Amino acid sequence: MIRRLIAPLVLILALSACAPVPAPSGAGAPSTPSPTPTAAPTAVADVPIVGSAPEPARASLPPVRVQVDAVGVDMEVVPVGVESGGFMELPPNPAIAGWYRFGPDPWSPDGNTVIAAHIDAPDYPIGPFATLRDLPAEAEITITGADGSTAAYRVVSVTYYPKQELPTEALFAREGTRALVLITCGGEFDETTGHYDDNVVVVAEPRA
Amino acid sequence: MRKTIAAGVVAGFALAAGFVVPAQAISATSADLYVLHAIPDTPVDVYVNGALTLDDFQPGDLAGPLDLPAGDYEVALTATDAADDSAPVLGPVTITLEAGKSYTATANLDEAGAPALNLFTNDIATTNAGEGRLTVRHVAAAPAVDILAGGTAVVSSLVNPDQATLNLPVGTVSASVALAGTTDPVIGPADVAVQDGVLTIVYAWGSAEAGNLDLAVQTITVGHTAPGGVPSGTAGYAAERDAMTQAFWIVGFAFAMAAASVVVVVARRTQAAKIDR
Repeated sequence: MIRRLIAPLVLILALSACAPVPAPSGAGAPSTPSPTPTAAPTAVADVPIVGSAPEPARASLPPVRVQVDAVGVDMEVVPVGVESGGFMELPPNPAIAGWYRFGPDPWSPDGNTVIAAHIDAPDYPIGPFATLRDLPAEAEITITGADGSTAAYRVVSVTYYPKQELPTEALFAREGTRALVLITCGGEFDETTGHYDDNVVVVAEPRA
Repeated sequence: MRKTIAAGVVAGFALAAGFVVPAQAISATSADLYVLHAIPDTPVDVYVNGALTLDDFQPGDLAGPLDLPAGDYEVALTATDAADDSAPVLGPVTITLEAGKSYTATANLDEAGAPALNLFTNDIATTNAGEGRLTVRHVAAAPAVDILAGGTAVVSSLVNPDQATLNLPVGTVSASVALAGTTDPVIGPADVAVQDGVLTIVYAWGSAEAGNLDLAVQTITVGHTAPGGVPSGTAGYAAERDAMTQAFWIVGFAFAMAAASVVVVVARRTQAAKIDR
């Protein structure tokens, strides 16, 4: 990354060094720059330049724990991806939350960290995320990373979305935001399909 | 219809409004152009349409993106002490850029070892959730090669100046380059990350004869696909509990109302009794 900053700087320094070079004809350098064809040219654009040697990509720092003291949530988080239908994968046990591992983590420079858990699943007790809907504004959430780092957030909104209206592009955004998004289900349960009508989404912003 | 239920909460937290095109300048009228210097040992100046654009450009360096209106551009490479592009060491070559596209121009050696300029179009389509894209480009003075991932050929008989693209599950690939039909690496192995929402381009460059074959890597952030949804409740226990709690309150309220009306009746009877006395 430092290379990227230095290269344009070197370019600028090189150009300023070039400017007073006298014309090859041997005449003395003009005291004011003149657009003669024999003067050394200056680059018209300031283009970023980086090296191309293979470099390891930034390693994610997976969240391992989510705590929401206001509603007594303290649970393990594991990395999850997508299942075959393209929906977010979730740990089968509602007492364990899943972090969307293809997106940012709380220590990424940009983008939302998405953590979700089942509100309930057959043969398990109702999960801790069932309490998310009761969260007041400013409630504090703490995420702990695999290396012990912590990230602190405060609740900004709690929203019910009918499932088909879940704004997935915005919630799973990777630029322009660094929110924490907690997702579970809620609303009415449809016995025939075995699914809840709504998603309950908590959005929290980083707090110092 | 969505509803926000937390009391006293600021409505409408500024989530990223819809999908943000990653950091590219591509538009309906412009293209992105990157330039890779893949000729060993020869720093150059790069001129575009007669204007010096890259000064003292070093082998192995990658410049860009340049945001350019769609159209034809004349590209020439000169020695670094040249005053202009009247005596290029390579070119001038006319390249055509179409709007909405991303390109990488490479100054590289052809199979015979002579300097050449190639224009590649970068596949910047959105990746599927859980996948990344890998493009490999042969721009080395070397015969046909196989590209191996973890020792197994995933691209066969790639010749200079061709490319091949694979969409792969997110993860790390141990990539190497071997002469076609062989498995002994002539370049690598090197770890290459396949990332969700990223196009990773690996170039084989340099000269087999000069013994300076190498890998160059370029990454471009492209669109990613978010999961289609978050199905996070499959038993209905919570809804059931809510219904029971609600029923409990209704029953409790009815009892309270009944008790209240008993109290009222008793109070009135007592009052009436008092009045009667």
